[in-house]
Amino acid sequence: MKGRAEIREFVQGLLANSGDEGTLADSDSLLFSGRLQSIDAVEIVVFLEENFGIDFAQIGFDKERIDSIDAICALTQSVAKA
Amino acid sequence: MCVLTNKSSHANSSDEAQQAQRRAAIENALRAHPGVREAAAVFDESDHLAAFVVPDDGFVDDVLGRGTAGSTLVSKWRKIFDLSQFSREATSTSVGFNTMGWDSSYTRGAIADDEMHEWVENTVSDILRLSPKSLCEIGCGTGMLVMRVAPHCDRYVAVDQSPAVLERLRQQLRTVPEVAERVEVVESQAANIDGFDENSFETVVLSSVVQFFPNAAYLTKVLEKAVNVVRPGGHVYVGDVRSLPLLQAFASSVELFQAADELSAGELRDRIRRRVEREPELVISPAYFLALRRSIPKISRVDIRPLRGRADNEMTRFRYEAILHVGPDNSVAFDGDFLSWAERKWAVDDIRSLLRQHPIQRIGIKGIRNARLEKDLAALTILDGADAGFAAGELRQRVVTNADEGIHPQAIFDLETEDLGFAVFLSWAACRRDGSYDAFFVPRESLHGVALPAINWPKPDALAFARLANGPGQLKFHNELVKQLVAHCRQNLPEAWAPDKIALVDMLPRTADGEVATQDLLNARLA
Repeated sequence: MKGRAEIREFVQGLLANSGDEGTLADSDSLLFSGRLQSIDAVEIVVFLEENFGIDFAQIGFDKERIDSIDAICALTQSVAKA
Repeated sequence: MCVLTNKSSHANSSDEAQQAQRRAAIENALRAHPGVREAAAVFDESDHLAAFVVPDDGFVDDVLGRGTAGSTLVSKWRKIFDLSQFSREATSTSVGFNTMGWDSSYTRGAIADDEMHEWVENTVSDILRLSPKSLCEIGCGTGMLVMRVAPHCDRYVAVDQSPAVLERLRQQLRTVPEVAERVEVVESQAANIDGFDENSFETVVLSSVVQFFPNAAYLTKVLEKAVNVVRPGGHVYVGDVRSLPLLQAFASSVELFQAADELSAGELRDRIRRRVEREPELVISPAYFLALRRSIPKISRVDIRPLRGRADNEMTRFRYEAILHVGPDNSVAFDGDFLSWAERKWAVDDIRSLLRQHPIQRIGIKGIRNARLEKDLAALTILDGADAGFAAGELRQRVVTNADEGIHPQAIFDLETEDLGFAVFLSWAACRRDGSYDAFFVPRESLHGVALPAINWPKPDALAFARLANGPGQLKFHNELVKQLVAHCRQNLPEAWAPDKIALVDMLPRTADGEVATQDLLNARLA
């Protein structure tokens, strides 16, 4: 099971691809802040599906749940417990 | 697209014969590269040689993008639309009004329901003017148009690539059997709409969908198929198309809206440039549709119209609809002189009086300043000339104080509903970067029921054809192609003969004689 460090590394990779080398706190908004675009959200979704077995068709999808590293970690933990 | 290398200039030659030889050698060398479709070498006013290259889309996609660039983008959008239907709100939307995914670029929140209602009702009304009895909609989504247009049709084929979206559409159709009986739902990517016979439909609709195509080549492939399944006399309606000549103004207005008061003009300009470069959607010039007649001869005529609507949003300001007329066009062109708006700066009341004074004349007015875009364009102008230290808050204040001079396009559309006896048509075919538009007024009784008369609209200049569409996600591939071409020229030409700059363009503008319009190319580089 991957954890917070891997999630952070993945998200920072996405930001770097967008030319965003700014600092990133775990609570910083990714999508609602505009730092990542909708098309980048797909990368996060596929990462979570492949690495954490999350099925958004089952659990529902809301941008808030992947809008920060904290939110993504909370999502992976809630799915792991279920 | 316009990518310039930073290569320093070479010694200039004033010898014309040698210049012609060098130009020919460069053009031949570039044409021999598999990534080049066309090339033209031009000396600028400083005797620097610029090479303009039309890239080969297949090479960019298949070789540089390893065959996955386009298809990856298409599948990413499918995933986004699937995801939009997995949200809690999606299950509770009303029938035919599922606006999930319609978010404002400015606020990043949902576009207001009343604005979406206006948009959809205007789109429906424009499609119904084409009187389609059999219609195929590519990219139907959850059925905002299906539910409103299908009741007027005998057959409505609704195509979409997202299974989750189509499942939502099927659920909604089950609640309205009188609509459902006319509708066939088909899961397919736009580029794979095979399986319909030629002449199957009177109208094919692509509304608010082409921005999710990966490139202009994909769009052309889809439109070729669409034209093929339309009967002679029918139409392909491409709606809600994002305008390339206005992309800069759009990016600027979004960034200015989101900027903190203290953000400097320098940083704001960087953000605008990055937004344009990172634009993930396909943004298309009206000139693309006008040029399409060359590659799809069945298209006899193309109309380009700004959108109707009172709402002030990114659709009404920066998008347009393209109507492709299929098959022989027997209608007589409605010609008439176009008066220049810039010379008289008429207000709507002046135009109303003009129509009253000349009730049986056709009247055209060209270059009407577009009130919808006044503030965005004024901001862009101020920003262009601003010192790097000038702050965004100050810029916003300066823009607010500018007086409005132009006319809102809806105010012109509204003249049709008054008791003036005129039908009103608007065009954006001239592709002006200031978003100004042309209007044509025809006495209604002389139309004899023709819904879309042929009008000799003012044409774009040759320059407009140099850039037809952006390349979403293709910046790195285009940069890679330019690097390859620089190396290729070094290998295949004497050192002093290599071009000083290489720029990518979508098409080489040509004069009426078919010669490359060199001055237009140089202007395109500067634009």
